[in-house]
Amino acid sequence: MDLRDKSGLLIDDLADMRNAMRIQLADGGLDRCDMARNVKEAVAKLTLKRYDLIVCDYALGQGADGQQLLELLRRRQLMPLSTAFLMVTGESGYEQVATAAEYAPDDYLIKPFTSATLQARLVRILEKKAALMPVYRHLPLADKRGDPEKALAACDELLAGDSRYQFDVLRLKGDLLIGLERPDEALQLYEGALQQRETPWAAVGRARALAALGRTEEASENLHKALDAYPNYLAAYDSLAALLEKSDKGAAQDVVERALKVAPSTQRTRRLGGLALENKDFARAETAFRRAVDKDRSGFFKSHDDYAGLAKSCSEQGKTKEALGAIQDMGQHFVRTPELAARQAAVECQVQAKAGNTAAAEAALQRALQLGKEARLDPNTALEVAQACFVGGRADEARRLIEAVAEDHHENVDVLDRAQSVFAHAGLGDEGAVLLEATRKRMIKLNNDAIAMSRRGELDQAMEMLTEAADRLRNNCQVSINAAAALLTHIQRNGMNMERLERARGYIDQAQRANPTHPRLAEISDLYRKVAPADASALDESGSVTEQGEPGAG
Amino acid sequence: MDTLVAAAIHDAKNSLHALDTWLARARAEAPSPALEQACLLSSQINAQLVELLALYRADRGRLQLNVNDHFLADFVDDLLAELVLPAPAKVVVECDRSAVQMLGAWAFDAYLVKFVLLDALRNAARHARHRVRIELERETGGGLRICVGDDGPGFPAAVLEGATAAMDADSSGLGLAFARLIADRHATPSGRRGRVELGNRDGARFSLILP
Repeated sequence: MDLRDKSGLLIDDLADMRNAMRIQLADGGLDRCDMARNVKEAVAKLTLKRYDLIVCDYALGQGADGQQLLELLRRRQLMPLSTAFLMVTGESGYEQVATAAEYAPDDYLIKPFTSATLQARLVRILEKKAALMPVYRHLPLADKRGDPEKALAACDELLAGDSRYQFDVLRLKGDLLIGLERPDEALQLYEGALQQRETPWAAVGRARALAALGRTEEASENLHKALDAYPNYLAAYDSLAALLEKSDKGAAQDVVERALKVAPSTQRTRRLGGLALENKDFARAETAFRRAVDKDRSGFFKSHDDYAGLAKSCSEQGKTKEALGAIQDMGQHFVRTPELAARQAAVECQVQAKAGNTAAAEAALQRALQLGKEARLDPNTALEVAQACFVGGRADEARRLIEAVAEDHHENVDVLDRAQSVFAHAGLGDEGAVLLEATRKRMIKLNNDAIAMSRRGELDQAMEMLTEAADRLRNNCQVSINAAAALLTHIQRNGMNMERLERARGYIDQAQRANPTHPRLAEISDLYRKVAPADASALDESGSVTEQGEPGAG
Repeated sequence: MDTLVAAAIHDAKNSLHALDTWLARARAEAPSPALEQACLLSSQINAQLVELLALYRADRGRLQLNVNDHFLADFVDDLLAELVLPAPAKVVVECDRSAVQMLGAWAFDAYLVKFVLLDALRNAARHARHRVRIELERETGGGLRICVGDDGPGFPAAVLEGATAAMDADSSGLGLAFARLIADRHATPSGRRGRVELGNRDGARFSLILP
């Protein structure tokens, strides 16, 4: 393989370095090469065109770096999985690139390097991608539905053959098993890998499997040992922080602090801010959120949460003016949506109340509630409004909002945790725990009751119960899938009914939008295809893979 | 985050990268022995800067290793591709590539280990009569041994006894200190550590054992 028939994109903010690397790529045979100077240009180019390979310098100027760009490209699916992404870095960016846990480049090179090395690395990436494509094409990623079962089967096929990429396949398979909630098999896989040789991913994988099996002590001990041996392995910090977050948020904060000493990261800075805020370490929270907000002047990587967190941490320290400034900045850095306005109003209510401005707080709360009536709010914003309700003395309204969020997201641990901290913040932690657990159990019961009903042959009742729930809970993937299953089973037993088929399709699309990586999506889609006649509407597969093996997502 | 010293070393490395690009272009336009010598020196200065930076960071408690899986055959290919020996070549560097292929992948910091081995290879080439060999094998009881051997007179007794800091008389000892540092910083959760072994058998043998 060589680079002659490939197309490439070179991203570097310095003209001299761009030219030097352009020459090196041309030496390697790459003639078709576009160039971009910054994140904005790169995103524009990638929106229009697909490239076989991308060579990106870590330092991109404007406070942005290649690691952030890579994360953005993967999240927005601007780059197919078949594209090779090589990061180039000086010694100073080496740690950030080499330690990237979640959004790692395919490979990295440290300057200086020769044209031959550059070419060899790119060819190696492309060869590996081609070899692993049978697995990649089924992976559930970001917004892509994927089919974890098929991906697992592809892993096993590659493992049965004499693949040079045996350990890469094992690593992918372990992640898939954890995702599919099969931790016992994952544990076995990692133990097997570790018997052959010790390696960081398997050590951390074993700990994750142990944690998923509820063997928390062992998991934590494994992670501490892994961190002693591999103090730079960020995935170990992330897993340990996630483990500690449930029992000891102070310790979790310390672990995230340690990870940030290894390599700066906007995501971990944000996480640190959130933990510090919960731990009432407001000064630390303020510096963390301020860093998240200031880090990136290009504006591509910010989140509403950063500004909300900054406003709250300032407000708690009595810095009302700074807090209101952060709320105002929030409005200037994002597209204006009802959601944004509701978030601003809800945070303002909390800041004004803290400062003792009751009238202003009440006015802001009114605005937030009004906006919440007009638009469907995402869970973060809805919970923010609930928090404002507690502050504004409307506890019942707050409970109602939180309950609705919990019903809609009963399978989403992160959302439920956030809901719990809203209660805790209002001093109602115990009540919140009871209410959230009851809601979660009620949703599980609803699903189980419906399944039992349809087993007893009361399919009409089951169908009615589930479709009513699915119409109300549009973000609840499980309920949507079960509603579609009831409709499709009804068709299988009682004959085709186009209206029911169409409704089933709608619920599957709804489930797909709610959680594109839900483990049961592939199964329900298969059932739909089995039941639907050839001329029926196809499922919304925009995020899925086309037959040519060109993944639509990266 | 880095101090002024570390930042200065980065700057020097960046300039060296630009210099390398120009040297490569000059070599493509009109090759000459003088240019070859310049390229050789440039790569040696780069290696020394990397070693210096690592030792400096270790001294400040800031040395970080990035341990990840690497295919050993690819690693050896990269290593040999980057090894520049003085012209005219009087020694050959041998490696049983198919044996390395069989070993598959190993978890280590490929960037820093590469510089350890480049140093060992250059040192071996200086003392070899005809050939230098690089051999990789699994250690019984775990670990990977990477051995660089030559057919020269072997290490002097003083070096083997640890009486001197350097592997030969006209060296500062930077290379060996760096090798020992990098070996020792490689560890596994089960508690094994890396090490360096020096020995003589039909010439000098430098071994890096990775856990």
